[in-house]
Amino acid sequence: MIELTINGRKVQCPPKSTILQAAQANGIYIPHLCWDRRLTPYGGCRLCLVEVEGQKKLLASCSTPAEQGMVVQTETPKLEKARRTVLELLLVHHPLDCPVCDKAGECELQDLAFKYGPSQSRFSGERKHEPEFLAAPLIERNTNRCILCGKCVRVCKEHQGVGAINLIGRGFKTKISPAFEETLDCEFCGQCVDSCPVGALGTKPYRFRSRVWFMEEQPNICPYCSVGCTTVLSLREGRIMRARGKDGVGINEGDLCPRGRFGFDFIESEHRLTTPLLRKGGKLEPASWQEALEFVAARLSEVKAKHGAESVGALGSERCSVEDNYMLRKFMSLAVGSNNLDSRARFGYHKQTGALKKAFGIPWLALDFNAPLAADVLFVLESDLTSTHPVYGLKVLAARRDSEATLIVAGPQETKLATWSSTWLRSRPATGVALVNGIMSAMLEGGLHNKDAEKVNGFPQLAEHLKKYSPGEAARMTGVSAEDIRQTAAALAAAKNPMLFASFGSSSNTKGEGTALALMDLAILLGRGPEALGMPPEFANTLGLQMAFGDEGKGLDARQMLYGNGQKPIKALYIMGENPAVTFPGTAKVMKALEGLDLLIVQDIMMTETAAMAHVVLPAASWSEKEGTFVGLTGKPQKFVKCLPETGLSMPDWKILRNLGTLMKAEMGAGNFAELAEETAENVLSAQLPAATPALTAVEQATTETTEDGYRLLLATGNLMQHSGSLTAISKNLGSAVSDAYLQINPADAKACGVTDEGFAKVSGKNGAVIYLKAKVTVEVPEGMVFVPTHFAHAGVNMLTSPPTNGEAPAVAVKVEAA
Amino acid sequence: MIKYLLGNIDNPNAAEIEEYEKAGGYRALTKALSMEPEDVIGEVRKSGLRGRGGAGFPTGMKWMFAANDPKFPKYVICNADEGEPGTFKDRHILEKNPHVLIEGMAIAVHALKAERGYIYLRGEYPEAEKSLQKAINDAYRKGYLGFPLHIHRGAGAYICGEETALIESLEGKRGQPRLKPPFPVNAGFFGGPTVINNVETLANLPFIMASGADSYLKIGSPECPGNKLFPVSGHVERPGVFELPMGTTLREIIYEHAGGIKNGRALKAVIPGGISAPVLPPDKIDCPMDFVSVQKYGSMLGSGAVMVFAEGTCLVKVAWRALKFFEHESCGKCTPCREGTGWLRSILERIENGQGREGDIELMEDVAGNIAGNTFCPLGDGAASVALNFIRHFRSEFEDHIGTDCRKMAVL
Repeated sequence: MIELTINGRKVQCPPKSTILQAAQANGIYIPHLCWDRRLTPYGGCRLCLVEVEGQKKLLASCSTPAEQGMVVQTETPKLEKARRTVLELLLVHHPLDCPVCDKAGECELQDLAFKYGPSQSRFSGERKHEPEFLAAPLIERNTNRCILCGKCVRVCKEHQGVGAINLIGRGFKTKISPAFEETLDCEFCGQCVDSCPVGALGTKPYRFRSRVWFMEEQPNICPYCSVGCTTVLSLREGRIMRARGKDGVGINEGDLCPRGRFGFDFIESEHRLTTPLLRKGGKLEPASWQEALEFVAARLSEVKAKHGAESVGALGSERCSVEDNYMLRKFMSLAVGSNNLDSRARFGYHKQTGALKKAFGIPWLALDFNAPLAADVLFVLESDLTSTHPVYGLKVLAARRDSEATLIVAGPQETKLATWSSTWLRSRPATGVALVNGIMSAMLEGGLHNKDAEKVNGFPQLAEHLKKYSPGEAARMTGVSAEDIRQTAAALAAAKNPMLFASFGSSSNTKGEGTALALMDLAILLGRGPEALGMPPEFANTLGLQMAFGDEGKGLDARQMLYGNGQKPIKALYIMGENPAVTFPGTAKVMKALEGLDLLIVQDIMMTETAAMAHVVLPAASWSEKEGTFVGLTGKPQKFVKCLPETGLSMPDWKILRNLGTLMKAEMGAGNFAELAEETAENVLSAQLPAATPALTAVEQATTETTEDGYRLLLATGNLMQHSGSLTAISKNLGSAVSDAYLQINPADAKACGVTDEGFAKVSGKNGAVIYLKAKVTVEVPEGMVFVPTHFAHAGVNMLTSPPTNGEAPAVAVKVEAA
Repeated sequence: MIKYLLGNIDNPNAAEIEEYEKAGGYRALTKALSMEPEDVIGEVRKSGLRGRGGAGFPTGMKWMFAANDPKFPKYVICNADEGEPGTFKDRHILEKNPHVLIEGMAIAVHALKAERGYIYLRGEYPEAEKSLQKAINDAYRKGYLGFPLHIHRGAGAYICGEETALIESLEGKRGQPRLKPPFPVNAGFFGGPTVINNVETLANLPFIMASGADSYLKIGSPECPGNKLFPVSGHVERPGVFELPMGTTLREIIYEHAGGIKNGRALKAVIPGGISAPVLPPDKIDCPMDFVSVQKYGSMLGSGAVMVFAEGTCLVKVAWRALKFFEHESCGKCTPCREGTGWLRSILERIENGQGREGDIELMEDVAGNIAGNTFCPLGDGAASVALNFIRHFRSEFEDHIGTDCRKMAVL
């Protein structure tokens, strides 16, 4: 610790702190505008000047290292004068349009001017007269208000790794702009907006909607991915006006992605269900809750009587709370008497939980959110982490940037992490297993593996198996050179603290359970346990759903229920918060199964494609309209709160299930939410993760389909940073950034297929399905691969895909033609 | 008096490598190459050579810092972004005697075990680029250069003469100064230890290596040995660049070498070291021109650019024009410089136009006083000190100018 004196007080701070950090750590306020905890000091605003004994000049505390024995003054008449001058100078050009500025009331310049500032200007200079830039989605720029602190530029480049904007021009004419003053085209994470101390950057959805002092702040847990960020909602009269990240709040400490910052407006979608609907004469007609629930109870009893309880199945939701899913399970077992319970996680998260059971004998992973920062070699396999789990991905980026860790990214797509990597192994799509096998093989070949791994069950079999995957052979299969494979093996083996990353989502079809298992084998060979794995679950409550559903294997799973693999067909299906007609792979089979049902009950917040096929539709309250618990990647439950009235007649999912169960004469309990929460806390959330017992499993490189004549491109599906599942498709905000699916195709393939950039492409699969997509010709995908995001129902991407069967990667071979 | 920088300037073929060799060129490099790099640094340290870019930092010390840094690769960058108003000394070396610079760079690269060298050349010096590139090609052809030596032309920003902004610009980024520390000697070009020396500094090296530090120390003043180029401009009979020993007085430079004030007028003011250096009144011209003495006289040697103003010059206009320059060249990074230079310019502008108000001088002093020392880099300091020093020495002229236009006063 360094000891210094600030304002006559002896204080301590850790080594390498700046004076500003030392002051902040000790509760001493120094004003600043261009400093940000996450960024390298800039020293531009000159507000944080302090006096240091023995120094003639005033020093910028944000960029002056604190030294042992330093004597610092932060509030003296001289400093006040200097700061007042800085503020006066800033106000010379500032438009002072506070009455129409959305920032007023929480503007740092306004606050500082109030604290130090002169109430009179001695100088009125030329002001800027730029128009507002409103052409870009989501983010508005008003360069007239800009004080050129450069925080947005640096947060975008340094922290987000994007660099969409920079300062252009110089002196008074300097302004923040995208290159060549074009329209902003970026990730639209909005981090720049939160970092702006004044009103120069704003979010368009919030533009002129409210004054800040009329709003109430309510932190809530983001409903999208499993990171579990806290997004701070601003509420007014029962509506969300905006969402922001607030420095230091939540696991994300203020960072947010486009979904967490802009995706809240799905709540207000016109597609929300406001009343129960009953199919009458072939059409869904509004009905009362009494009518709808009596109908469901009667029909379920009928199906049960005719086909037995085991002909009834249910799908839970990775977006519903632990309590909701727990009630679904309880409803199925008490009111229906069936164990046929599953979810979309079958096609995503189960890839990794299946592998975890085999490799470590544990049911799930509890990730340490900040673990990537301590890693020295980070290996990311075929995953676009900064898109699937943006704020977790930032940790990987930070490890690379701040501690200069080695970042090895393997995968065909030029992701953001690939561009920032130390080494990018551009492997062919869906060859992750071969690559990891090759790395392990190189490790054994050089004797680089941890010798304790030799005692692990399955080592001899794995060693024998890996002979087939010599670096040379793996190179042939993956397209990565044997040299690179050996070097990766060496780098991982030499690492003090290696971490292996991959995300397994239901929409990413280039990885299977085998991919996860191979990575876990690698971790064991490195002498590591589950702590070396950075594999986050997919959605906000994927892990919570897994916990709520508990033991598996008792009833039918989603594959058996919907894809005709069951011993007995399902006759009735209760779907809570899921849209299989869009989000499940192999749409044709799913549709056929849904159409063949005697009874389809869909309980959802909005009118989905699946709901449109239902016999009865029950309106559920959404996130923020109900309370509940999510379990995200850390494995720790986080409560989200109710801060909005329920839409129409909608009710929380758990309440619908309780009412229905009670109607069906089951003892459902849960008189109110508190009772239910207590019950789930006891029965579900108290579960402890057992100790890991490693075992090695030999994994073969396999994909469900191979490319061949005609069908020579491998279609990879996945997530975009701006979207999540099919829910965000009804967010107008996010839709303004990306509103349609597209086909990413390499220029060489595009030429061969006759497809042009922005032109339409016809994509056909071996299963006979054909879809049409707009083409984006880009080198982000390599030759032989096309990429399509899966979020958009009308694109029908899942017409082409199929569910994984045996642990292999369910990639699809397609034919692309000009349309 | 020995002239080793521009001694052969009158030879029209001085820029040719053969002529340079004939005059003893590249022998210093041969000698340096036969020495251990540490010994070359030792010799330069012993010579007491101080940087000619303006700050006068001991070159040998700078080299030692970079050499002691364990990181490789290291770089040598020549700062040829000569942009300080009044300064045109490097241009003569670049255009007329480029080999002395190239030889100096080669010595520096050897001494520092550097990987490559860059010459960051002022964008407005197209002729210099031609002669320099030809000279580099010739030096390669003759086998003098065993490392890559690149010319990079600037794009016209004064701030890129500041060494960290220069590095940013050379790296392909926006030319803005960086935080120091770390200093370029430890983390410069792409993070490697980097020595940045002015053209004239590097051009001193061949003489030091060829003749030895001891002979070098005999030239100039004890604390600042060697010759210095003095570009003299303004109201003198013979403006130009003069190679004179350090410590030559301003009086000698103006009245002997530059031929005195034009048309026999009286001297009104002189800026001794480029526009950023505080102006001096006529009673200070016995100041010896070296880094130490000029400071004692209340100004700084800077680039050694002497700007002479004869009686009859409106100093308000001079100050206004200087501030206009600084406003134009402020990079925009820090508040006081970006906004303050414009404010000062605008006050001077209204005084110059006869629109000055009571209290304007005090206002300027207050604003400039709060800019000086509080900016990110010396550009803002320079701007503030120009305003402050003009007022300090010529306050009555400023006061008289309030509310009147001096152009009309002359008519009356």
